[in-house]
Amino acid sequence: MAGGSRLRRNLMVYGKWFAMKLIRLCTLLLALSIVSFCLISLSPIDPVQAYIGADAMRVSPEQRQEIAAYWGLDDPPVMRYLHWASAILRGDMGTSMLYRTPVADVIGERFLHSAALMAVAWLASGVIGLALGIVAAAHKGRWPDRLITWYCYTIASTPAFWIGLVLLVVFAVWLGWFPVGLAVPAGVLAAEVTLLDRIHHLILPALTLAMVSIAPIALHTREKLLAVLSSDHVLYARARGEKGYALIMRHGLRNILLPAITLQFTSFSELFGGAVLTEQVFSYPGLGQATVAAGLGGDVPLLMGIVLCSALFVFTGNLIADALYKLVDPRMRKGGDG
Amino acid sequence: MERKDNRIRPRQLVCLLALVIGLSMLAACGSRTDPGQSASRYPDELILAIGSEPTDGFDPTTGWGRYGSPLFQSTLFKRDHEMNVVPDAAKEYRISDDGRTWTVRLREDVRFSDGVPLTAEDVVLTFETAARSHSVIDLSNLEDVRALDAWTVEFTLREPQSTFISMLVTLGIVPKHAYGDGYAREPIGSGPFRLVQWDVGQQLIVEANPEYYGQLPYFRKLTFLFLSEDAALAAARAGQVDVAAIPAAFARQPVKGMRLKSVRTVDNRGIMFPFVPSGSTTEEGYPVGNDVTSDIAIRRAVNVAIDRQALVEGILEGYGTPAYTVNDGLPWWNEETIFADGDPEEARRILTEGGWTDADGDGIVEKDGLAASFTLLYPAGDVTRQSLALTVADMVRPVGIDIRVEGKSWDELSKLMHAHAVLFGWGSHDPLEMYYLYSSRYRGVDLYNAGYYANPTVDRWMEKAMYATSEEEAWEYWRKAQWDGQTGLSFKGDAAWAWLVNIDHIYLVDEQLDIGKQRIHPHGHGWPITDNIEEWRWLEVQD
Repeated sequence: MAGGSRLRRNLMVYGKWFAMKLIRLCTLLLALSIVSFCLISLSPIDPVQAYIGADAMRVSPEQRQEIAAYWGLDDPPVMRYLHWASAILRGDMGTSMLYRTPVADVIGERFLHSAALMAVAWLASGVIGLALGIVAAAHKGRWPDRLITWYCYTIASTPAFWIGLVLLVVFAVWLGWFPVGLAVPAGVLAAEVTLLDRIHHLILPALTLAMVSIAPIALHTREKLLAVLSSDHVLYARARGEKGYALIMRHGLRNILLPAITLQFTSFSELFGGAVLTEQVFSYPGLGQATVAAGLGGDVPLLMGIVLCSALFVFTGNLIADALYKLVDPRMRKGGDG
Repeated sequence: MERKDNRIRPRQLVCLLALVIGLSMLAACGSRTDPGQSASRYPDELILAIGSEPTDGFDPTTGWGRYGSPLFQSTLFKRDHEMNVVPDAAKEYRISDDGRTWTVRLREDVRFSDGVPLTAEDVVLTFETAARSHSVIDLSNLEDVRALDAWTVEFTLREPQSTFISMLVTLGIVPKHAYGDGYAREPIGSGPFRLVQWDVGQQLIVEANPEYYGQLPYFRKLTFLFLSEDAALAAARAGQVDVAAIPAAFARQPVKGMRLKSVRTVDNRGIMFPFVPSGSTTEEGYPVGNDVTSDIAIRRAVNVAIDRQALVEGILEGYGTPAYTVNDGLPWWNEETIFADGDPEEARRILTEGGWTDADGDGIVEKDGLAASFTLLYPAGDVTRQSLALTVADMVRPVGIDIRVEGKSWDELSKLMHAHAVLFGWGSHDPLEMYYLYSSRYRGVDLYNAGYYANPTVDRWMEKAMYATSEEEAWEYWRKAQWDGQTGLSFKGDAAWAWLVNIDHIYLVDEQLDIGKQRIHPHGHGWPITDNIEEWRWLEVQD
């Protein structure tokens, strides 16, 4: 009986917490859309000019006005925003100017590629970052530690696209091990593309993205583990004769896992930012590439759609981190109660 | 025991690393290609990285194929190497005496790739759809299009327009029976190729259309990769493409197995001068006119002082040609517009004759107390235009003209361009461009005639050209508008612009691949290279 009521109470607490988060999300998206729309309106890119591009001299002024009217670009910005926002509320994200297809389709298609790339990089960076951090902390001050911290500081101060270019030149151009770009082999029909082909094309971009995200995770893990290792209960364990990795696994890992997981989920924003650059370098057909195209081409509906989706993506990451905290750490649960 | 199992030993790590590297080397063995052969697996296939993706798809009615060949569709007429109009899906066209009615007779043996014949109904649908598409295809002058019989189409124009032929040359015909919402992604047409697969954001795979009525291309399958310029260069160096479009800055790095192919263009850059004195404003209140550049002596002196060949050598690395008009080398170009430049003495003489002298000895000439000083604007971020602007300023400084160079965003440019000189870039295969740039009808309308240029004689020649009922006749009038012996829009006449250079388009082409004779390319880099795809061959290899 008592267990049942506790469960109910817990569910209620979670429900309330989740509802608050949802309200937060709505206000966040609203504010974000207004700010992005203002920024786009103020940007010097004229969507009609961007759309016409090199054809400027074959398009008459009358036709320009028709294009502007067709896309509703001659309305004042406030009107345009309200149009857009009311369509969004009905679930219609509009039509992309660049692709002349619904924004939802463009994002859906692109997101699959980006998701594969980010998922691989995310898992790899999480696992490798954690492992490197643990190794560094376990060998504090000796050569593995110095090697790992040296690597982390170097990578952390290196732009992602530069790492991508170096990997591209070395592994694709000089050694010829990997393709220089795209997600599928050139000239091969979709039906003949194997999973191995896709993985072959994914390795370099995923590696670039992972290399960048490993550094902060490894450094944070190292710091956290060092703090744990200098605590009293570890001292007590050492006194009992425990040592090496076994000691870390038993007494360190549980303590550092939580911050590591949080960090991992809150890194969604950096992951997305890194993906934009990586996809650009490797001509990878993901959301990042579409973001750049939409920004340069003045494609307002697509850009707004991507902004909202990426916000949702990052928010989800943070939400999962919070929820895990509540689940894993009983102290947090109590905190939510009171 | 338990402790030992948990430990990650360095030796295991090294083994794992070796395994990963070994595996990736194995995977790589299959993908290496030998230089000198097709980057693809078969000799009648090519892989090209020549330009950006037509993101809105392959529907001619929204702009696909207006440069180069539409590949999947055929056009009513096409241009030969000398830019003459020759039949394609149509046999002939007739223009009525008032220039408003165009009658086109179609070939009767043209079939779409699904076997259905191409008839007048398809042409009507194509033009009606394009007129309603609100895209870069400008048919605002088309009043009506109708089918007289199965093989005859009649176009009625609101105003005579000899340049309407450009529409018949560039607009690919779509099939009425297979045209709908998804057409742009799955086009069916009567052109030399048909679409096999389009991986959005990545590549386009096409293969030869067996129903094609014209000369069949040698290459049966083409793959177009959509790579950035840097990635295209990397792909070329890795031997993964047969043709790659690259910017001039990369031209100095030799690539094994590839040769550099530089193609002449009308992709030009030039300085637009405000033509009228200052004092008025546009409807929006932006200032119009400039007291310095409205003086013809200034415009002519700037034109003469510039050493165009030096600009080509110094800024374009030699990959370009001096420009004298907006349409150098095209059939409607008047060759008399060429003049001797890079001559400071002559520039000084022109200034003195025009009443500009350096009275106060500051190195800048004056006239009636006004110093010969003006601002030259360029779109910020365009490195080539910036270099051109700065070099031009250096070249005219010794003759006593002071040019201040400033980069601005397009937004600011559109407010300032009526009162300041601007470095623009144009270049199209359509004389309509000249009309937009120099006709008094387009004074101050958007980017067109931003300098408010007007010359009644030039206007008259251009109106005549627009009303002409044959292309040769029109070309003759366009030439007269540039220079008719008395006046004109070019340097010898009003010198309304100082054209600087035409920028070559540069491609890396497989050493063994012959891409035929390339025509003068328009502004867009990339797709025009496929214009003569049926001429492409492998060079004979000695066994």
